[in-house]
Amino acid sequence: MTVVHYLNQFFAGLGAEEAADHEPVRLDGAQGPGKALAAAGLAIDLTVACGDDRFALDENECLATLLSWIEEADADVVVCGPSFGSGRYGYACGVLARELGRSGMPVVAAMTPDSPGVLASEGAAYIVPTTGNVAGMRDAVPIVASLAARLAAGDPVGSSEEEGYLPRGLRVNVLSDELAADRAVGLLLAKLGGEVRTEIAPPTDRVAPPDPLADPTAALVALVTEAGCVPQGNPDRLPTRHANVWLRYPIGDRADLAPEDYLSVHAGFDTTDANEDPDRLVPLDAARALVQAGRIGRVHDEFFTTTGVDTPVAVSRRMGQEIGAELRNAGVDAVILTGT
Amino acid sequence: MSHTRADLEIAAFAVDEVVEGTLTGRDGTTLLVSSSQLAVGAGEPALAEATVEVVRPGDHVRLTNVLDAVVPDIRADDPASSFPGVLGGTWNDAAHPRVDRLTGVVVLPVCDWKAAGLVGPEEFPPSYVDMAGPGQDRSPWGSTSNVVVRCSPAPGASIADADAAIRRIALRVARTLAATTVDATPDDVRRIRALTETDPDLPGVCAILQVASEGPLTDTFFDGANLRDLMPRMVDPAWLAAGRLTNGAYDWPGVRNTTANYQDLALVRALERAHGDALRFAGLILAPGYLDTAEAKRRGAEASATLAAELGAAGAICTTFSSGNSHTDTMLTVRALESRGIATTALVCETNGGLTDHVAEADCLVSTGNEDELVAAWTPERIVGGGDGDAGRAVPMVHYLSSCVQTGDGGWTSVPA
Repeated sequence: MTVVHYLNQFFAGLGAEEAADHEPVRLDGAQGPGKALAAAGLAIDLTVACGDDRFALDENECLATLLSWIEEADADVVVCGPSFGSGRYGYACGVLARELGRSGMPVVAAMTPDSPGVLASEGAAYIVPTTGNVAGMRDAVPIVASLAARLAAGDPVGSSEEEGYLPRGLRVNVLSDELAADRAVGLLLAKLGGEVRTEIAPPTDRVAPPDPLADPTAALVALVTEAGCVPQGNPDRLPTRHANVWLRYPIGDRADLAPEDYLSVHAGFDTTDANEDPDRLVPLDAARALVQAGRIGRVHDEFFTTTGVDTPVAVSRRMGQEIGAELRNAGVDAVILTGT
Repeated sequence: MSHTRADLEIAAFAVDEVVEGTLTGRDGTTLLVSSSQLAVGAGEPALAEATVEVVRPGDHVRLTNVLDAVVPDIRADDPASSFPGVLGGTWNDAAHPRVDRLTGVVVLPVCDWKAAGLVGPEEFPPSYVDMAGPGQDRSPWGSTSNVVVRCSPAPGASIADADAAIRRIALRVARTLAATTVDATPDDVRRIRALTETDPDLPGVCAILQVASEGPLTDTFFDGANLRDLMPRMVDPAWLAAGRLTNGAYDWPGVRNTTANYQDLALVRALERAHGDALRFAGLILAPGYLDTAEAKRRGAEASATLAAELGAAGAICTTFSSGNSHTDTMLTVRALESRGIATTALVCETNGGLTDHVAEADCLVSTGNEDELVAAWTPERIVGGGDGDAGRAVPMVHYLSSCVQTGDGGWTSVPA
């Protein structure tokens, strides 16, 4: 088992604030808090460290150096921190964890729940919550050591509630002792008794509607659909369901979408009526009429499409963000989004 | 609902082992299965053949293209009326029915629609049951002995005819296996009584069982008739236990309501246990899901809530059928119920990104698991049911039959990590 530990300049013993510009360094074995981790049963093979300011100023370069050293060490797990309440150190730990996580490397970090490193990690690390200063070291170290040792060995790790790490925004499956029916009856009786509990917290990513268009008559309007509308023959093989891609097709000066040119490959509804007139999927004819009437400015010269059936919410969110970014870059002011 | 019907007796006969033999019968807790006796040939013109094979927990086997699960049942008092409307006979509330049931064994019909050329390459998702390996505990049928009925449609047969034949065969095999119990002494007898009056101060609670019927391969059947025009209606829980509600919907297997779920609905059992103690079981509502339009969804939700109110329910438990679209039906039903002052709990599965739909009123949810979570790769020694079975590849939970079923019959749930 190979364990790599990331520290900032202070905890690596390179100096305090005057060493905050210190370039990345490699140090053999455990340094500073690494010795406490070793005492808790997690032997540190390599310590990598970087000054907080240096990381903030040369993030990409520092990351590349640190990641290459960690890869060279053939690490089984990486521990970052504890960074406690330090903003810069916490951020560096979070960013390093995120990049390592993307390559599949298990990472354990420790910091305050409001540290910028928590957001920066994007759920890639098991983050043990700490107090704002080193007084929390004693509590954090055994949890960090235990998690890291098991991750390195490929042993299972329990839920955030069981293990004490911060929820990573992920949901993992566990087999309950009770059938869902029994849990449902228990939850309903509790609710009827005034105690409302839930196994699924309500979503927090509600999107507030934007302000109305200041001047619709000048607006560039795009057509976006999840109805699986594609050119005849589906040349780019848009999946009929469970799509994880979106496509765009030029509209050019077409007045509408003709049935001999377009169809729906959506597997989630009867497409007969839609295929008789693909404008029912992508209302180009209606949009052209609005332009003609002077009610909107122009129609964007491409339409965007995917199949919205059996698509995981995370994939939908990602595709929405990608399409949104494209539309924003194209200067689109408004979208007509047709759903099925 | 009838409050005058006779009790339905479910007589359970435990099966510890299933072995293949020359005759079908029972020897104590061992079930003997004659594959040749059960195989189907000319009796169903829409099928080229239907072969029978037994698989057991621990076998290095992945079952693929699994359509349904059926608990072996027979109407001991009137065998011809088992699974009424499909195998024959009719249900009579005034009769004194007894169902003999084998436990620990199920019938799993299997058909590779794609290989038969009846569906497109991505039209139906893979449907697995693993008898060993890391995915064995995902489907409840990974821990039962399974009589697999592997069906091949006849060339030229329509998909509707082939499907109807497969459903008939699966139920017929189930009835034949259960017929081995006739005149034997059961291990246990459960009585499903007509709901009785109880302490009026107890809160009335109803269950809303969502089903959907959209066409061949996506239908649910009551007495053999599809439920495409279903409006919310009361059903007697005994009707389900007697095999009147059967599955013919083969979309995402992880969230598929199988016939076996309907035959022994855990939610009904839980409410019956609590009846007269912590609550008053006010009734079971069969409600449509996967409705096509926003208006139909609103209408269905309002009708379910109206029925629940008429039952005097203070609370309702909403189940969900399949994935995606139907979650909106569930959420609208929750909203309609809560707007009438009826407290709700809903059963829903999750995805990696959260819920497919959610309304603010849904403040009390039961998670039946994250359907997107990957189950570790496994290479079985044998694949039964056709295709490559994703051997050696990680498989999302949603491909395991009934792993995240939203009727309350599963144990999987999802927790923060």
